[in-house]
Amino acid sequence: MVVSRGLRDAGMEVIFGGFQNVEQIVESAISEDVDVIGLSMHSGAHLAYTERVINLLKEKGVKDHFLILVGGVIPVKDFLVLKEMGVANVYGPGTVVRDIVKFIVENIKK
Amino acid sequence: MFDENYLKKIKERKQEWDKKLENTKERDIKFITDSGIPIKNLYTPLDVKSNYLENLGFPGNTPYTRGVYPNMYRGRLWTMRLFSGHGTPEETNKRWKFLYSHGETGFSAAVDALTFNGIDPTNPDGDAEVGTSGVPLYCIDSMFALTEGLPIDKVSVALIVEPFTSAPVCAMYYNMAKMRGLDIKTLMGTTQNDILTMTVGYVPYKNVNPYHILRLACDLIEWCVPQKNVPRWHPINFTGYNYREGGIDAIQELGFVFASACSHIDNLIERGWKVDDFVNRLAFHLSAHKDFFEEIAKYRAARRIWYKLIKDRYEAKNPRSMEFRFHVQTAGSSLTAQSPNVNIVRTTIQALEAALGGVQSLHTNSYDEAICLPSKEAVLLALRTQQVIQDETRVPNTIDPLAGSYFIEWLTDELEERVWSYIDKIEKVGNIAKALDTGWLYKEMRDAFMRRQNRIEKGEEIVLGVNKFPVPYDQTTTVFRTNKEAVKIEQERIINLRKRRDNAKLETLFDKLRKVCEKEENVMPIMMEITKEGATVGEICDVYREVWGIWEPPIAI
Repeated sequence: MVVSRGLRDAGMEVIFGGFQNVEQIVESAISEDVDVIGLSMHSGAHLAYTERVINLLKEKGVKDHFLILVGGVIPVKDFLVLKEMGVANVYGPGTVVRDIVKFIVENIKK
Repeated sequence: MFDENYLKKIKERKQEWDKKLENTKERDIKFITDSGIPIKNLYTPLDVKSNYLENLGFPGNTPYTRGVYPNMYRGRLWTMRLFSGHGTPEETNKRWKFLYSHGETGFSAAVDALTFNGIDPTNPDGDAEVGTSGVPLYCIDSMFALTEGLPIDKVSVALIVEPFTSAPVCAMYYNMAKMRGLDIKTLMGTTQNDILTMTVGYVPYKNVNPYHILRLACDLIEWCVPQKNVPRWHPINFTGYNYREGGIDAIQELGFVFASACSHIDNLIERGWKVDDFVNRLAFHLSAHKDFFEEIAKYRAARRIWYKLIKDRYEAKNPRSMEFRFHVQTAGSSLTAQSPNVNIVRTTIQALEAALGGVQSLHTNSYDEAICLPSKEAVLLALRTQQVIQDETRVPNTIDPLAGSYFIEWLTDELEERVWSYIDKIEKVGNIAKALDTGWLYKEMRDAFMRRQNRIEKGEEIVLGVNKFPVPYDQTTTVFRTNKEAVKIEQERIINLRKRRDNAKLETLFDKLRKVCEKEENVMPIMMEITKEGATVGEICDVYREVWGIWEPPIAI
């Protein structure tokens, strides 16, 4: 929520999805025509969920339409695994919101 | 507390001393507590408003500021209770046995996200979460596996589930205990059963609205305590800890738990019970955060506030009704994934706050918790941290050792006053369910998140390794991974159960449950019947959803 608010304060339009399943996330990203999908996970299930979201996006042929960011309690050892899956960047505990804003601004619509 | 003439003398000397400071310079920071209370350079008898007998008194006597038991740790040390659960009930049972063999004195089940949200592992919505953040407890078989070979008749067990699933999970546990030949009238333990944890502490997934959640919480209290089915159980633990983790301060933490407690008491009074029939079994779960003295003062103030609340507002007659008993967890949000070894130091200091504050039961975090679920090595160190305080420091030698400190007494008074004002502010919005449903509590949470995040980003709140002496994420800590096979194991457990049970009989029982929900009767009696026959938590929560509908929380960003 802090991230959502920080992004909104930086002038971005944010849709906070709450606790959604994989299909809901992909559907709302497509129907709202967003630029960025941000996944926040603290349970340890980040690899499984991210993979499912990306696979579903690929299945629908829209993976490249979105910049995918992942944040939460994520061991640094998994950062590379997530990036290899197709995640643009990963944010662990202690992230400052302006770094996320900067990354989005620099990497969007390239 | 002091003689008037003597105070005058102190005042004169203090003025002389103040002059001495005129030519000195202070560091350029704000001297405030974590909750923003301005702190003076020095406290003297001039700052102590409290009258000893009225405001402090003796431990075990009103107003309980110095502790709820007359002998405190000289009689019995606090329970060392490490919140733990992962993978499957069998694996969690192994972890519990490991901790017990190393001196743990209480158990606490951390459940997974599916058990919190009433979803079975066979549901594709959440199957990837099975066993990741806690132990999956979906059916009575899970309870047997969880407690196999453990002396649950002697050691108390905390079931950390919230009102949306507390009725079925507790019923499963009580049925298991009965089948093991135990008398549930003597069973000891706690259910968290906290309305705010799954609403403002986490984001709920397909739960029902807070008015029903409040009623479900009160159903468990009513059935256990005034109806005397499990009278030694703590059927609720108002969990300020979880929302404190979201960024609120110590004043808001107490404000939230007391406003919530009042809403539950009011509900039970509406059901015809007297406050003395049940209030003694209500318990609390607070945080031990970063501000050392403020946290200690918070525990002391909390005891006094609760005493006044129960005595004055609810006119309880039994002094035991006015005792504030609490569990503490050290602050997970203070831990860093950078230099995780520093977390051992943070946790030690926070555990000491709890010990000096008169805690009844304590969880210490493992140093790897900003990275993963605790490894065996990390959790053992967390347990040893408490044992060092209990066995090596001699801290438990005397009761409430910081009492009489000018600063601590002043801060206890100051916090008490501020908490009363905050309780008023919440109650102007309505009861706790209304404060949730209108979104007011979500806005309070959001504003608190933002304030804390801004302070950290500006460097006003120091986080070593992050905004001061920053270091990269630690790469050397072994990452503990939960069992990937858990989902298969749990799905098989449920499938086997569904084959074994009398499904026709269950259908009748589900109809009965539906009627109980429609009529808004206490769900516990039917829950005892239906879970004994093998109903799962997901199936039961689906009935709640069907009858009451799904609630969309008014989350503010």
